[in-house]
Amino acid sequence: MEIDLGQVIGFTRGMKVHSISLSTRKHVLNMSLCLGLVWGIYDAFTGPDLVSELRDFTGRYGAYLLLISLMFTPLSKHWNWVRRNLTIRRNVGVWGFVYGAIHLLVWIVLEFAYDWALMWDEITGNLFILLGVLAFVLLLPLAITSNRWGLRRLGYRPWQSLHTATYIAVPAVIAHHFMAQKSDVVEPILMGLVLVLLLVWRYRHAH
Amino acid sequence: MPIKPSKITPEKIYKKRRTFIAAGLGILALPIIDKGYAMLNTQQDGTDQPFPPIESMPEAADTVLKPTPLETITSYNNYYEFGYGKDDPGEADKTLITSPWSVEIGGPGADNPGIYDIAEIKGEHAIENHIHRFRCVEAWSMVIPWNGIKLADIIRSAQPNSKAKFVRFTTLNDPQQMPNAGWPGGPYVEGLTIEEAMNPLTMMATGIYDKPLEQQNGAPLRLVVPWKYGFKYIKSIVKIELVEHMPHGTWWKQNDREYGFYANVNPRFDHPRWSQATERVIGERGRKPTLLFNGYADQVAHMYPDPDNRLYFY
Repeated sequence: MEIDLGQVIGFTRGMKVHSISLSTRKHVLNMSLCLGLVWGIYDAFTGPDLVSELRDFTGRYGAYLLLISLMFTPLSKHWNWVRRNLTIRRNVGVWGFVYGAIHLLVWIVLEFAYDWALMWDEITGNLFILLGVLAFVLLLPLAITSNRWGLRRLGYRPWQSLHTATYIAVPAVIAHHFMAQKSDVVEPILMGLVLVLLLVWRYRHAH
Repeated sequence: MPIKPSKITPEKIYKKRRTFIAAGLGILALPIIDKGYAMLNTQQDGTDQPFPPIESMPEAADTVLKPTPLETITSYNNYYEFGYGKDDPGEADKTLITSPWSVEIGGPGADNPGIYDIAEIKGEHAIENHIHRFRCVEAWSMVIPWNGIKLADIIRSAQPNSKAKFVRFTTLNDPQQMPNAGWPGGPYVEGLTIEEAMNPLTMMATGIYDKPLEQQNGAPLRLVVPWKYGFKYIKSIVKIELVEHMPHGTWWKQNDREYGFYANVNPRFDHPRWSQATERVIGERGRKPTLLFNGYADQVAHMYPDPDNRLYFY
């Protein structure tokens, strides 16, 4: 069977023949995002400042992945190739969480070196930090239950209502990303616009 | 074919979902509300609200300064004319022509204005070496062994008159030499009071580690004011003017809530988005306490009569 790269990436539309199975596509995605992480860590180690590079890289790409994970449902209504790949959404979301969790770990271990009192001051004193922590706390149970076990344990409906917490967590992530910038806010503003469109779409299609 | 969620979820959950979505939209609006609230506060109360008195920070643990490696100093920079990322200025092509380089010294406060080449300026004044802490407003720091001239020497040779109340500095803004010269803040402007400019701590750096300044560090001439935040250290200076009125610096103009004129380091006055109580030493793990006036209180505190006024500390 021929491998169609377009199918792997998912950019061809209207193709009926699946040259690669869904599970293979998921493996390719998982491996790419894992390699992306390894590459980012390597890049940070070779740069001038490990802490900020590791922190900023994981935070930024985690935010991208979480935003992308929310785009699957609306886009699937318009594009068949998104609908066929809808279950990849979960992988993207979980990887977004993994990047975000590493981001938080870097902050705790490397930036604050376990100085909990200082971290508490930062969290309670700055909306910017508070939003980041809030997002992590909200996403943690979602990530834990983002598997067959979680779905079976909770039942579909409770599982789904739990996972609506993404609609609070991802706005918090993007607001946090926006507030982290000193002057170049074009990118977080674009992300915010995409998110607003997405939320408006979901709101209107809730019935 | 996945099951369409809309086919099986009861209305109750959809109503909840709407609440979640609305809450999400609300969170997105938080930074705007936060900013609006702060602006309202500033308008009502002014900027000089009472704050607890400043105690000088213990410096004992910090008397021996360990310079940051040159490699780090030259690869972790904020120089937006060469890109927004910290590694952009160091990785940019060496397009800045620093020799010849003319610096215009003038303004209404100078009786002896003139245009000088950097070589003349270096030749006329004594080069000194000083190891100073460098504290960025973004709450990170380095220790930099500077080589340079006392700014006071340069100002004295311009023969300041009674109109010289402030000094206004301007960075080169040339799209041919700087890939991001068109960034919204350019041309970069910074200022000092004449008293600050004449303070013996104030330097015009020409080198680091006995090597000529690199492009990313602000070659060939850069202001050094160790008790202030890093954004005051204006780079690649082409103009020094002695003026009557307080110069409106680039960051102050960009965001007057977060960046002001004085920008003296003070652990007690937080940046609106983060704490200034501690700093991250580049290349090290963890944080250390930030010092009042970045550790130079003895030399500079007398210039700021009211140590509780936030005006002096952002």
